[in-house]
Amino acid sequence: MTEQPPILKTWPRLYAAVLGALALEVILFAILTRAFH
Amino acid sequence: MRAADWVVLVATLAAIVIYGVWKGRRQRRLEQYLLADRQMQWYTVALSVMATQASAITFLSTPGQAYTDGMRFVQFYLGLPIAMVILSVTAVPIYHRLKVFTAYEYLETRFDNRTRTLTAGIFLLQRGLGTAMTLFAPALIVSLVLGWNLHLTTIVIGVLVIIYTASGGTKAVSWTQTHQLLIALTGMAVAMTIAIRSLPDSVGFTEAVKVAGHMGRMNVIDFNFDLSTPYNFWSGLFGGLMVALAYFGTDQSQVQRYLTGETVTQSRLGLMFNGLVKVPMQFFILFVGAMVFVFYQFVAPPLTFNPVQSTKVRTSAHGAEYQALEATHETTFAAKREAALQLVAAIDSGDADSIARKKADLQTLQQRDDQTRKTALALIKKNDARADAADTDYVFLTFIMQNLPTGLVGLLLAAIFCAAMSATASGLNSLASTSVVDVWKRLIRKDLDDHTYVIVSKWMTVFWGVFCIGFGLYANQLGSLIVAVNKVGSIFYGTMLAIFLLAFYAKRVGSTAVFYGALIAEATVLLCAWKTDMAWLWWNVVGCVVGVVAALVIQMFVPARPAATA
Repeated sequence: MTEQPPILKTWPRLYAAVLGALALEVILFAILTRAFH
Repeated sequence: MRAADWVVLVATLAAIVIYGVWKGRRQRRLEQYLLADRQMQWYTVALSVMATQASAITFLSTPGQAYTDGMRFVQFYLGLPIAMVILSVTAVPIYHRLKVFTAYEYLETRFDNRTRTLTAGIFLLQRGLGTAMTLFAPALIVSLVLGWNLHLTTIVIGVLVIIYTASGGTKAVSWTQTHQLLIALTGMAVAMTIAIRSLPDSVGFTEAVKVAGHMGRMNVIDFNFDLSTPYNFWSGLFGGLMVALAYFGTDQSQVQRYLTGETVTQSRLGLMFNGLVKVPMQFFILFVGAMVFVFYQFVAPPLTFNPVQSTKVRTSAHGAEYQALEATHETTFAAKREAALQLVAAIDSGDADSIARKKADLQTLQQRDDQTRKTALALIKKNDARADAADTDYVFLTFIMQNLPTGLVGLLLAAIFCAAMSATASGLNSLASTSVVDVWKRLIRKDLDDHTYVIVSKWMTVFWGVFCIGFGLYANQLGSLIVAVNKVGSIFYGTMLAIFLLAFYAKRVGSTAVFYGALIAEATVLLCAWKTDMAWLWWNVVGCVVGVVAALVIQMFVPARPAATA
């Protein structure tokens, strides 16, 4: 049995946080690109 | 280079080598030597994984890419966080449960020895070439900057890496990498600070970002779908995902890093940290390049950035023509500097019409200068057909050498050397592991004791080090380094990924179907690379899809395999 991660309590939550951060980065990059388009 | 720079550079490199040798002392068992006894915590795993990928090529070539092409290269990494999640869910628990030494060892459990040998062979070929190029990059720097003999420099750096990698094994590699990555990132932060602080008084950080943006250097995301464009959102997401899955899931240089994790949790956390930090880190490195671009709007850059080639062409029959281009470049720069200052004034005034006009003026001058540079680079190529006409890799180095104060030049060179040494060390370490575990121990001598295998591993590290030094001596013929490394990887990664995906998810598919599916996939990728203008990131997708589909089709015509064991 795999132990739980030390933060966010479950692995699916930690995975969601990493993917959420990626989505946020893409949005910020898109805003930055559009600002000078 | 001044004495203080030498002190910083030599002291840093000596400290790394001594620390590596000391950390890896007294290792007598193969698991100890190749996997650090599987005792590493997540932060060491994370930094080791990141340092393995971030070679000197990353720190040299990436800022140069931002200088010439803007920041769109960051899209290459968009698939990476997704890959980290997929691998944490699938590969990490399997590798840990089976307690494998290499990724290819798992394939024998799942398929047969033939598939294991095929993938190990592909890895040895591809990683051997990749590590050679990783080693070559810092040698290029020193030989270029200090006028050293390129061959001798490659040999010296290679030998330094061989010393601590061969003597200390994975433990030495992982621990030195944590320090090396921190030194490299500190160096980049220092370079960016100097670039911004050296701008005219009227140009602050905000203005610098805006000038970079108006000049097309903040073009981070491109949502247009185009198969022939190397970097856009879609190629980054799908092609980048395939590259990252293949690189982190099937390439022993990375698998070995997270196999050292004490538990599944430690390995997973290491990968999650990489998934969280990698894209911002690449953005930061590209941003440094964008700031160097802004810096060179106000301080005259050389016409071309390879000093050896520019000196050569100046003293050749094309010298007069080249010097005329230099005069044009100087005139254009003076006008460009004035236009850039006017753009900054317009930005500060907030007048949109004025900004648009000044931006158009500056862009026109930039295009004129780009054309002059293009002509000059063509002249260099005309003068010496063997010359590397692309000077992207020299941009950041030129900035460091010409603009950083004494002491910091040494620090930046140490940072670049550290990055090169860390990636090379991982490469040699994994090449030795695969050579011993998948080839020597499996196919040549199965009956040796553990300590003898450790000794064989050390000699294998030395062998691959010598191979990489030898091949690295000829790497300067391969064009832009970072693209060359990724291109070589992309020829093989799709096929490798197809094999592992079938192993993980297609339990009905047997070894014969996988083996021939892989051969078909590799032939298709080579055909795409040779006969089409498809951007190289898509080769990964082609290799993976063709490999999986071909194996599934072949499986329909061969007898069903017994139930899977893993």
